[in-house]
Amino acid sequence: MRTGLTLEVVGLHKRFGAVQAVDDLSFTVPPGAVTGFLGPNGAGKTTTLRCLLGLVRPTAGHTLVGGKPYRDLDDPLRAVGAALEAASFHPGRSARNHLRFLAQAADLPPSRVEEVLGVVGIAEYADRRVGGFSLGMRQRLGLAQALLGDPAVLVLDEPANGLDPAGIAWLRGFLRALAAEGRTVLISSHVLSEVQQTVDEVVMIARGRLVTQGGLAELEQAQASVRVRSPERDRLAAALRAAEDGTVSEEGTDTVHVRGWSAQAIGHLAHTRGIELHELANEPGDLERLFLQLTQEGPS
Amino acid sequence: MSGAGLLRSELTKILTTRLWWGLLIGVAMYTVIQSGVTAAFAGVDPGAGRQASPGLDTPEALRAVYAGAAFTGAYIFALAIGVTGMTGEYRYETATPTFLATPRRVHVVVAKSLAHLVVGVAYGVVALVCAFVVGGVVVLVRGHDLGLTTPGLWRAALLAVLAVALWTMVGIGIGTLIRNQVAALLVAVGVTFLFEPLLSIGLYAADLQEIGKFLPSSASSAMTSPPTQLGELLPWWAGALVLAGYALAFGALGVWLSVRRDVT
Repeated sequence: MRTGLTLEVVGLHKRFGAVQAVDDLSFTVPPGAVTGFLGPNGAGKTTTLRCLLGLVRPTAGHTLVGGKPYRDLDDPLRAVGAALEAASFHPGRSARNHLRFLAQAADLPPSRVEEVLGVVGIAEYADRRVGGFSLGMRQRLGLAQALLGDPAVLVLDEPANGLDPAGIAWLRGFLRALAAEGRTVLISSHVLSEVQQTVDEVVMIARGRLVTQGGLAELEQAQASVRVRSPERDRLAAALRAAEDGTVSEEGTDTVHVRGWSAQAIGHLAHTRGIELHELANEPGDLERLFLQLTQEGPS
Repeated sequence: MSGAGLLRSELTKILTTRLWWGLLIGVAMYTVIQSGVTAAFAGVDPGAGRQASPGLDTPEALRAVYAGAAFTGAYIFALAIGVTGMTGEYRYETATPTFLATPRRVHVVVAKSLAHLVVGVAYGVVALVCAFVVGGVVVLVRGHDLGLTTPGLWRAALLAVLAVALWTMVGIGIGTLIRNQVAALLVAVGVTFLFEPLLSIGLYAADLQEIGKFLPSSASSAMTSPPTQLGELLPWWAGALVLAGYALAFGALGVWLSVRRDVT
């Protein structure tokens, strides 16, 4: 059992020249779960992660790993393993030598290099120069680098990028197992569907600001709605709105989507008002649509 | 994180790409040419009424053949490895995993500087061996004594190695200042091969050699006590101090910039 550490981002601001990359962002990442850090390209995910890891100095606010700034960690690679980009390798250096210099810098035994090469399945390519690696192999090497210190926290930026379906399935199981051991796992992505089956928690950002944070299941549930078709759609919508529960949105000429009502309650209301219904169907939460909608609208 | 581990890590970085031995071949080849040519033409009447340089029976000429040629043959490559050692971290983004493993960036830059000094010493020693072998052969062929007991020769040889090593620090400073690898290399080599000699000649012509002798190349040259006509160089010890001062200043610049910078 490896005890994870809580990650905290508190009132984070980062400005690059005229660009406000991160704007008053606060969230926490709990141990023992896989948290998805989601947002469209340019939302500020990578900048936030780089602030968290002490690589970028925030304009305001701060970030903590287990209550401490990253720079003050005694043994950073044993606390946090990170893979930020698939390109942080010298093309002329072999995978093994890349991991060797990191192990030396962090005073980790050379045996760890061999172990992580095996874990991510690139041991047979270890002596090849990274310049000849495919994107998928670089991703695996990045993961090996992150795992080197057997860390309590794993931070991966777009880890599924370039992996084949088998690789993605393997990564999913691997990350779930690490979280089950009690570790903190934070993975960023701009594609929700890529991580939807992997994550427990979601932190969504757009334009440098928090859009929503919570458990994936709760978010999905909150997104669930009921689709109702009726020739007297407008009367129905008015009746639902009058009750001031949930939200009602019209679609086409005869359809409404209702959130915050059960199908039974809607059916009952229609019955008592004598409104004719042609369809009454539960729609599961469509997180992808929420993601698109929220990230395009931006935070309100 | 221990200092020894970090130093080993930085040495591993240098030794696990092919650049260091490519540059080492350059060191050997350039030194062979330098010492061979210096030995071949020492004391030869250049004609046109100009004064001949000191002959191979003088300590100045022998120091130039062995120590002076070793320095001249190696320092530009030492400069280059220092520049690429720093710019490579940004070009290939290895600065990211490096600073993740060692968030105290001062430690990284100090370890990197020490590792490059070690490699610089190795370059200097290889250059010295080349100069002694090739220069020695030419000296013998021209019918002179090898002159290994020449006054000041071993001091000059030792200081040549030190001077070569210190030039890696200049490279690290320039590499931190200019992160674009190609630009940094061009500036470093351009300044030391073109701008500095021109400036030196200009200062000499304007009777400002009092300033010119404090330039890094002039200070380095002074360390090997070469043949001098007008005493326009610093004494060897002052040259060593001035070059060490440049190395420290460039190293400090490297630390100062690296600590502040965002790694994106």
